[in-house]
Amino acid sequence: MIRHLFTLIWNRKRANFLLVTEIFFAFVVLFVLGSLLVDNYRKYTAPLGYTYEHVWQIDLDPNGQPISRQDATFERLIQLLKAVSGVRSVAATRSNTPFSFSDSSTDFKAGSKSTNSDIYIVGDDMQDVLSLQLAEGRWFNRHDEVAAHPPLVISQEARQALFAKGPALGKTVRGLDNQDFQVVGVLATSYRGRGEFQELEPAIFLRSAKLVGSADTTSFDQPRLLIRVQPTATAELEQRLTKEIAAVTGGWKSTVITLPEQRTIRMKFALAPMGGMVLVCGFLIFNVALGLFGVLWYNISQRRAEIGLRRAIGATGSRISGQFLGEILVVTTFGLAFGLLVAAQFPLLGVMNIRLPVYLASMALATALVYVLTAICALYPSLLAARIRPAVALREE
Amino acid sequence: MENMLAPAAHRAGDTVRPQAGPPVLQLRNIEKVYQTKTIETVALHQVNLTIGKGEFVSIMGPSGCGKSTLLSIMGLLDEPTSGEIELDGRPVQSYSDRELAALRNHKIGFVFQSYHLINDLSVLDNVELPLLYRPGVSGRERRERAYAALEKVGLGARTNHFPGQLSGGQRQRVAIARALAGRPELILADEPTGNLDSVMGEEIMDLLLHLNRQEGTTIVMVTHDEQQALKTQRLIRFFDGSQVS
Repeated sequence: MIRHLFTLIWNRKRANFLLVTEIFFAFVVLFVLGSLLVDNYRKYTAPLGYTYEHVWQIDLDPNGQPISRQDATFERLIQLLKAVSGVRSVAATRSNTPFSFSDSSTDFKAGSKSTNSDIYIVGDDMQDVLSLQLAEGRWFNRHDEVAAHPPLVISQEARQALFAKGPALGKTVRGLDNQDFQVVGVLATSYRGRGEFQELEPAIFLRSAKLVGSADTTSFDQPRLLIRVQPTATAELEQRLTKEIAAVTGGWKSTVITLPEQRTIRMKFALAPMGGMVLVCGFLIFNVALGLFGVLWYNISQRRAEIGLRRAIGATGSRISGQFLGEILVVTTFGLAFGLLVAAQFPLLGVMNIRLPVYLASMALATALVYVLTAICALYPSLLAARIRPAVALREE
Repeated sequence: MENMLAPAAHRAGDTVRPQAGPPVLQLRNIEKVYQTKTIETVALHQVNLTIGKGEFVSIMGPSGCGKSTLLSIMGLLDEPTSGEIELDGRPVQSYSDRELAALRNHKIGFVFQSYHLINDLSVLDNVELPLLYRPGVSGRERRERAYAALEKVGLGARTNHFPGQLSGGQRQRVAIARALAGRPELILADEPTGNLDSVMGEEIMDLLLHLNRQEGTTIVMVTHDEQQALKTQRLIRFFDGSQVS
């Protein structure tokens, strides 16, 4: 029967051309959308490398204070905040805090290997604030101030890019104006400062005691603090912190936002385009489904005599519906064959810079969806075909 | 394979008429009423009919007298409003759709006025069609039986043609080959020469007569052609849904 179906569809290839084309485009749309969604899902389920719950971000504006006094003010502020009840740890950082829309990257080189990596300039307490886990070595401490080379902590991706399977601890890395740094620690996982939808890219942490007051400080690189608060912390603590900051800094402005809030904003920016694409594709697929449904219904009404004949020569009603369902699945197979040929070019040509397993999963997903879609569209017309009374159909011309 | 459409001089044995054997099909008190909200139409009224094995029966009557309805009921394509049908001695009223389909497939072959060939299938694929619905028949056996049936009707050289490439007479012969491929006990032909000119009509009639006389195939044929009807063993006349002779 399968051979019969293929013969029938092949012999009707001109009549089925538009159906095959429609299915081909539906597949390509689903494949591209699926690749993006699967890739984003893969990123979403990968570890962030830190915890953001109960972490608050404090943006600081020196409000015109002379640069020469900012470092001392900042240090005083950190000490004060550490002493505030409800605050567990405080760490200084730059503008590229987790889920922010700011990023900074530079090239690093270790021997013959090099990589472009996100760079995070952070204070000594950042490990506590973000609950960073180390696989090798240690985090920064105040003894690093007198080290021969500034220390670095690198993520797993940076380790892989710079040292592959070789040792990393104690190795010297060159970067940032040909300055040499020494690796003192390796994170247990990745670190994705731009949130869940960031690719797994190299990340490198650089210790900096002096976070403000340096010559290169610009309005785009205002000092920031990340603080880990007690889980019971409320808005009352936020108000208290704002007052304390204003008092100890002599008028610095501050804004507090929690990392979960920051994450929500980031997620909205990432999910909105995806949602839009899903809506547009959904609309397209719905139209394809309507078209398929109409064409199949029309086909069946045109083939009533054939249905009558098949019933007369021994087909049951269920065989008739199976026949029409089978036919559309064969047509779908032809459309998918062309679609898969096109889809195979994406990983070969690196069209969307997505990993091969994601493409393969998307192909499987889009194939299954198209089969389900066409089967659903064919189901009702096929059932109608099975109900056609042969004695009546055979008399029609 | 012997070509059944050989000239008449080669068919001297055609005069042998098989005697009617045990009943293949029996209809008892068949009534068929079509009912709408406002109108009740009696298509068949108290039809009693027995078709013996090896018989060639023709059914005649004016248009709308119920001939085609009768043929549909005989072919288990339609259910009577009341009455009993026995095929090969077995009452079929309580049969399920699946059982009726199997009976049609094994026991009955159909030939229609408008051929009902599938234009997108080759002649051979068309003839194979009934065997597709018969479990246990391999692809090879289907091919062989289809070839054999086509040889019988003189179309052994047209297997790869498509219906659109054949004349009306050839198409009807393909339809007859399709009916023969399943080796049925009964062939029901609904005006098989109705769409053909007189020469082609004669050819088809000769073929059916030959199948009946030489192969012993039981045939019931609805026709408007008195001359053709007279060539069959028994002529049944219908008028207004009732058998009149």
